[in-house]
Parts: sequence; C-alpha cells; structure tokens
Amino acid sequence: MSAAALPLAGRRPRRGMRLGRHRGLLVALVVFALLFAVADAITPGSFSYFELSFMSSGGATLALAGMGQTVVVLTGGFDLSAGAVVSLVNVVLATWMGPEPPSQILFGLVAIGIGATVGAVNGFFVAVVRLQPIVVTLSTMFIVQGITLLIMDKPGGLIAPEFSAFLAGDAIPDRLPAPVVVIAAAVAFWLLLKNTRFGVALYAIGSDPEAARAAGLPTRAIQLGAYVVAGMFYGAAGAFISAQTGSADPLIGGPMLLQIFTAVVLGGTLLGGGRGGCLGTVVGAYTLVLVVNILLVLNVSAYYSSVAEGAILIMAVLAASLNRRSAIADYLRLGWLELRARHDGTAPSAHAGEARPFALQRPEVALAPVSWLERHRELLRYVLPAYAGFVLVLVATHLVYGNALTNPAYFNSLIVLASFLVVLALGQGAVILTGGLDLSLPWMIGLCGILVAGLVRGSDEAALWAIPLGLALGAGLGALNGAGIVLLGLPPIVMTLAMNGILQGAALVYSNGTPDGFASPGMRWFMTGRLLGVTPVVWFVAAFVGAALVLLGRTAFGRRVYAVGNGALVARLSGVGVGGTLIGVYALSGLCAALVGILLASFSGQASLGMGDGYLLPSIAVVVVGGTLITGGRGHYLGMLGGVLLLTALATLLAGTTLPFAVRDIIYGLVVLAAVLALRERHA
Amino acid sequence: MRLGWLAAGVAMVGLMGSDAVAADKYKIFLSMSYIGNDWQAEAANMVKAMADHASMRDKVDLQIQVAGPNAQRQIQQINAMVQQGADAIIVYPISPTALNQVVKNACDKGVLVFAYDSVITEPCAYNTTIDQDEAGRKPAEWLVDQLGGEGKIVVITGVPGTSVDTARTAAAKDVFAKHPGIEIVAEGNGMWSQAVARTELSKIVATHPWSEIDGLWMQAGCFTAASMQDEAGIADADKKPCAGEGSNGHRIQMLPIGTEGIEGANGTYRPMGYPSISYASPPYSGALALKNAVAKLEGKEIPQLTSLPLPLYTNDEIKLCTEGTWAEMQAGCNVFQPALVSNPGWFGSIYSAETPEIGLQAALVGQPEN
Repeated sequence: MSAAALPLAGRRPRRGMRLGRHRGLLVALVVFALLFAVADAITPGSFSYFELSFMSSGGATLALAGMGQTVVVLTGGFDLSAGAVVSLVNVVLATWMGPEPPSQILFGLVAIGIGATVGAVNGFFVAVVRLQPIVVTLSTMFIVQGITLLIMDKPGGLIAPEFSAFLAGDAIPDRLPAPVVVIAAAVAFWLLLKNTRFGVALYAIGSDPEAARAAGLPTRAIQLGAYVVAGMFYGAAGAFISAQTGSADPLIGGPMLLQIFTAVVLGGTLLGGGRGGCLGTVVGAYTLVLVVNILLVLNVSAYYSSVAEGAILIMAVLAASLNRRSAIADYLRLGWLELRARHDGTAPSAHAGEARPFALQRPEVALAPVSWLERHRELLRYVLPAYAGFVLVLVATHLVYGNALTNPAYFNSLIVLASFLVVLALGQGAVILTGGLDLSLPWMIGLCGILVAGLVRGSDEAALWAIPLGLALGAGLGALNGAGIVLLGLPPIVMTLAMNGILQGAALVYSNGTPDGFASPGMRWFMTGRLLGVTPVVWFVAAFVGAALVLLGRTAFGRRVYAVGNGALVARLSGVGVGGTLIGVYALSGLCAALVGILLASFSGQASLGMGDGYLLPSIAVVVVGGTLITGGRGHYLGMLGGVLLLTALATLLAGTTLPFAVRDIIYGLVVLAAVLALRERHA
Repeated sequence: MRLGWLAAGVAMVGLMGSDAVAADKYKIFLSMSYIGNDWQAEAANMVKAMADHASMRDKVDLQIQVAGPNAQRQIQQINAMVQQGADAIIVYPISPTALNQVVKNACDKGVLVFAYDSVITEPCAYNTTIDQDEAGRKPAEWLVDQLGGEGKIVVITGVPGTSVDTARTAAAKDVFAKHPGIEIVAEGNGMWSQAVARTELSKIVATHPWSEIDGLWMQAGCFTAASMQDEAGIADADKKPCAGEGSNGHRIQMLPIGTEGIEGANGTYRPMGYPSISYASPPYSGALALKNAVAKLEGKEIPQLTSLPLPLYTNDEIKLCTEGTWAEMQAGCNVFQPALVSNPGWFGSIYSAETPEIGLQAALVGQPEN
C-alpha cells in the first residue's frame, strides 16, 4: 500500500456514504417489509409458526442458489449453470445416499463437493483459460443437464427422512424452523467470507479488474475461487431441495434460473459487479415468495402474475437507483440545457455555416500497401473457428449418413431451420455489440407470432396488413426496452427480463390461453413451398444476410453500435447519440424477434404460446460462438452466421441419430465449449 | 416519491383482485403447471366450466393459479393455498415426487389434494389419470401390425426427464424390441408440441428422406407429420402410418377422403384417409377431479386412484360431431368440425360418461352444458 493512501485509512466514511453503499439492500428490505405488511393485512389470521415454517422452507432453495449467483455476479461474471447443478445434486443424493447417519453426513459434503467441482470447471475456463463466463456456463449447463439425465431419467428416488427433518423440519419444534437455521448459517458464512481478503478482493475485481490487478491482487485465483464458492452454494441448494421434496426430479433446477437472477437483482446486487451482497439476495428471494402468496390471496388472474412480477422488479431496481445522478435526471438536465441553448442561440446547430476553428488535415505519409490477409487478420481469427466447426460437422454428417454433402435437400432443410436464428442473431448480436443483452426474445416472438396468426386467420389479404403490423409492434416494444434502459437507466437484463414477463401476460390475455389463429396459404408457402428449386425462405435468408452485413458494417448506425459497445462515454464525447443508438438497437432486436414469430407461425401453420422459449439461449450462443465479445464492441455478423450454421448443423446431425437425449446435451455443450476455446485470446 | 410509486403499484395489484369469497362455499384452488399449450388451456377451461355448472355454482368457490414449469413455485403455491384455508386443492403436478412433502403437509391439515393427468406419489393424494404404459404400448403394437412387423420407424418422444414420457417411451420400445424387423432410425424429442415436432422432424428428414421411413410413433405430432408429407408432394394414399396423438386435426385427417358434411377444412386440416391410431390423455381429467373432490367434501367415498379409460381410436372408429354437445358425444362421435375448432392442435378427447356437465363449449370457452 502506498504512503499517499495512509492518511485516509483512519478516517471513517460519512454516514451518508455508508448508507449509500448499502442502498440496494435497504431498498430490498423496504420492499420486502411493504409486501410483508400487505400479505399479512390481507391474510386472515395472524402470522403463525406454521406460516413461518412454510415461508422459510419455500424460499430457502432459491435463497441459497441466489447467494451463489451473487458471488459470481459481484466479480462481474454470470453463471447459467446454477439450476443444472441443483438438479444434479438432487439426483445424486436420491440415488446414492444411504439411510445411515454417516452416509447422510458424507453426502451432505458430497453435495457441496459436486457444486464446488462444477464451479472449479467453470472457474478454470473463465479465469485461467479466459473464456467468456456466459458461454462457459452455458456449456457446463448443457453438460451437467446431460449427466443428470444419465443418472436418473425420470423423477423418483428417496431421501432419508432424517436428512429431510434435519434440513427442512424444525430446529426447535414450534419455535424455530430448520430452514431459518440453514439460511442463517449460509449468511454467517458469507459475512465471514466477505471480511476476508478474498471477500474484499471479490468486490475489487467487480468494480475494476484492471485496478485490482494493478493493486497486486491475484485476480485469476480470486475469480476461480468465486465460481467454486458459488458452486458450493448451489450444492447446498441442491441438498436443501432434496430434503424439502424427499425425492429427486432431474428437471427441478432448470426452470429456477430466471428466478435466481430476479432474486439477485431484487436484492440490490449490481449486474456487472462490484456492489451488492448475499444478504440482499436472501431478502430478494423471500420477496419473490411473498409475491406468490399475495397474488394468490388477491386472486389475481393467472395471466397477470408474470406482469406483476415484472412490474415489481422494475420498480424495485428503479427505487434503488434513482437519485440526482441517475440517467433520467441526466436527460432532464441535458434537455433543459439544450432548450436554453436553442433559446439563447448558443446551440452548435445555430452556427452550422461558420468556419471551424481548426481543420483536419490528412497526414501525407506514404503507407506501404497492406495485404488483405494482414488487414483482416483479427476479423478472421474470431470469425473462422465457427466455420471450421461447421465444416467438421458437415463432414461428420456425411460420414454418418453418407448423403449430406452431395444432397441439395439437406442444405435446403439446414437453411430453413437456420433461418430463425439467422434473423435473431442480427437483433441479439447488435444488442450484445453494445454491451447489452435482450432477454425479452421468448415472449416477443410468442406475442407477435400469436397476434399475427390471430389477425390473419388463414387469409392472404389479411396477412398483407397483419404482418407489417406485427413487425411494427415488435419494433415498438423493442424501442420501449431501449427507452427503459436509456431514460430510466435500468440495466438491460432487468428491463428485458421484466418486459418478457409483461409480454407473456399480454400474450395470455390476448389469446385467452388458447391461440387459435393460423397462417395463411401464402405464409405457409413461404416456409414450406418451392421457388426456383428451393424453399422461398432460402432466398429471403440470402437477402437478409446481405442487408445485415450492410447495416452493421457499412452504415453510420452500424459504426455507432460498435462505438457504444467500445465505450459509451467515449462515444458520447465523440458526438454519437448514445441513447438514440441504444433505442435503435433494441427496436431492431424487437423487429427481428417479431419476424421470427411470424416465420415460426408460418412454418408450423399455427402460433402457440411458448413457441419462443427455445430460442433465447441459442440466440446468445450463436452470437458468442461467432466470435462476439459478450461485453460488447467486438464481433461481426459473418461470425454470428457461422455460429448459426455450426449449431444448426450440429442439432440436425444429433436429431437423425438414436443417441440418448442426455448424451446429445453433453455433446452440444462440449461443441460450444470447443468452439469458444478456439476463439481464445492468445496473449491477453 | 419512490415509495409512492410502489404503493401505487401495490394498489394496482389490489384492484386486479376480484370478488370476495362467500363463506358457505367450499374453497377450492386449482394449481396448474403451464398455460402455454392447448391441452393445459382446455383442461383449465373444463375445470372452470365444471365449477360454473348449475349443480356446482352454489357450492364451489374456485381460484386458479399457475406455477409455470417451476416445481419450486408450485410448492410455494400449494403452501400458500393451505395457508389461505383451502378445503381442496386440484393440481396438475409438475413433478410426481417433488410435491410429496408439501402435499403430505396439506393432508395433515385436512386439505384434500386431487392431482389430474400426471400423478403425485404421496399416498394421501388422489390421482386421476390414464395408464401411461398402455398409452405407449397400444399405439406401438398397432404400428407394428400395420407394418407387418418390418420397417424403419421414427420415434418422437415428449419432454425427456418426465415420468409420463419415460413410461410411454419405454413401453413402446419394449414392443419394438420384440420385433427384430422394426428398426428405429431416428429419435427426436417433440416436447408434446406440434411446433417442436415440426422442427425435430425437419431435422430428421434432412438426413433420412421420407422414402426411407416406413412409419412413425409420436407422442404428439402426427398432424404435423401428415402436413410435412403433403408439402413434400406425397399423395394421401402413400402417407406413412402414424401412431399418435388425439388432436382434432389428426382425427380429421384420419377420416376417409371425401367424407360428407365437413365444414371449414383448409390446407392439411382435411380428411385424407391417413392410416393412424389416435390415443389421448383426456383433458377432462381436471374437471372430473374437481367433481370428485366436491363429492368427497360432501362425504362420499372416492378411491385414491381414478383410472381413466384410455381413449384409443383407429380410422374406422373416428366419427364426426356436428354440434359437440355431451349428448352427441355420448352417442359415439369423437372429432369436431374444423369450422367449430379452428385450431387443429386442439385436443378432441373431451368425452367422459362421468361428466355430463361439460361438452365442447366447456373445452372451448369454459361454458358448461345446460
């Protein structure tokens, strides 16, 4: 530590600052207290031990898993494997844990060990090999899911009743439920950890990795450690859910993933790292439990429950972030300055015709001609691996079936199946290039597809106006995402996650639970008919790829997208309208999702609820496998296209086999991992 | 100001809540899994219609909650329902095992728990379901017969990792294993969705052209398979035999070509003499569970397991309904006019001798019979 820092060491920060640092947690507590008061007021009878015990066990799994996720998020990471690890631990315990106490203790440790092992694998690839956390954990998620299904292909098994009673029963009958003790122990562990050098380093890395490294912190070891600790928490969550349910279900953890993120965000932890903590996450998790109870008591129609959850998420995050320096205040202030400048005639636009005080001059240096290969070396390095993988999969397909490479029908099917991701990759890709993420795709696809099919109802004339309307709706809702991110300063993940819930509600209300629209003959022809020897959509895909390359590579909009992704502040100082660009990017993503909704409805002939669910993770995977940095600024649509081709060809290869589904999951995860391994920065 | 917003939000949520509960009615909750597919929506409509029937209206106060695909949330919901003083809980269990503890808790508090379609293994729960083993085996046996014990087949399963899918698929594979002439050339997971079945089949057909496939065994998706063969230019007479689901579209396709009196057919939603067998997990099971729950509350004896007969129809057993009343279905019809049911993925097996309260309108819009 330098001498200059010493005088500061003894000074206590002002109380305002200390409170400000815990603002996220405080808001989370206020929200929880408010909802608790509401729940208590509308529930008949007073809050009893019975209710305490129900509530504490109901939220414990989520709280434990959320605490793990928080540790990773604090370092600026992201862990998609959380739910999968919970399932894996669940099936392992139900399959192999014996009825004797020693075995139960052993397997309690095994649960945590399994989590730590998966975490170590994640951590190794993230910290040591330096791959992007989202792809690494996506691959491990698939691999762990596959292993889980190999161990147990259907719900079953039995957890010893003593194990259940110890973790999920009563610690002191009628006084203290065991889950409260479990959570308290986990929180105590976290508080101890937080005050070690490791704990402080977690925050340091999340706040500014460069500064942390410069300060001499072993950043790699700490990142690795963060994933291991996170894994231990998931392991504990898996052990708890085993105790709570008394048996195993291989699918139990997967659907928890979105809730885990919601709990983390509700708890006041900043996505991107550096601020927050596990205590807030526990509060966030129990807030979600309360929401379930309140919706039930108020008898809110099931259609609105996802809307209510989305609204609470947005409001809680807003409440934690609004202050004089927040985005909306900035925009109001800037808007006011702009108005005043216009009024006073001091705005730059009023001086358009005047000569500039300085002129740029092209330096007259003769540059040696550089070869094409030299100029595009960087681009090729991150675009080519996906194509290399694609070629490998094609060769494998040919070897397995003997008719792929020479069969035009195979390539036709491949492009038809790839068309959805080709379109989504542009929207999601552009969003990721700006450093954001669009999680609203599933229900953007669903809502727009259902709406268009419902308006078309088999009529080609209706399709002529319904399709543009659906596309406009997608673009408009996407712009709304952008507006929330820019004007309210919401993190993209929060805004789009909440939007996804709201759109789900809208789709359910519009269709009343059973979408009954169907595509017109023209729409069906587009996805399944013939035009000049191939399916019409193949021509469309070719045109779309061309347009996407021009949009991102040759237009001012495209350059602004890259500028924002490389540094929003620098972009703004260079005169890029950052807000406008972001809104445009999210509108583009919405438009692409709407288009996919319409294409899917045309492909199946009808639109169904949930038809977009399977496209969220692949849309992120293809973008990243194509060489795009998840933090933004670097990537090329050609690479994303390669990612689409690789993953679609792989899925086609696996679908034609009779391999068990579990093995297919594992292969899929390994290929994604291998593809990004090839993208690794050699000297970072 | 911030808290003001929150309060406004809470107030808004409050406004959405509806009518107060009358004290003398049975308080019954329905915990559904997912409302994102036709089957679940139909089942929910039929439960609503049952609760709204003249014989039930004054006895039952029904509230519906949805847990999504998340078993954790269903656990929380059932807990909350018990806290709210439920008399009975009707549940579509997301997991047959994960709910055991919470269901046992509910039973201990005197709450009746009735599961429909899928089962809960906790012994105190009442189950209303079909025999999943039979649902996998019978269609497989039919397919083997059709192919004369020899041929290449494609298998499309449901959601891997669920006990329903595992039981059906295992039973079918047992049948196929007994016939060495039957070869499974490809296997896809169709997630019980026509849309997913199409994506999976498209991938499969990319490497195994239709000319190399002799038959299909699908948990859902025969309608889609016929549509895809249509698009590939395969004539109706040459369509591959398909053992599959009870969707209305599939059953219409099973009617002989040129069936009289069809209204509203379009595209591939038309009679094509498609050699098929149609089995179904009937969506009336939730409504029957509700009826049984009320009967039990009124003191009647109800067995722990209500085993529903498996609806299973071959081509010559498919008969068209023109109105879809319960009385008409009782006379033996089992598929509805495309004009009445515009969505071909909609499930046609809605008749039960034990539920005269509900007919086609119940399944479509939640309106009971008179």
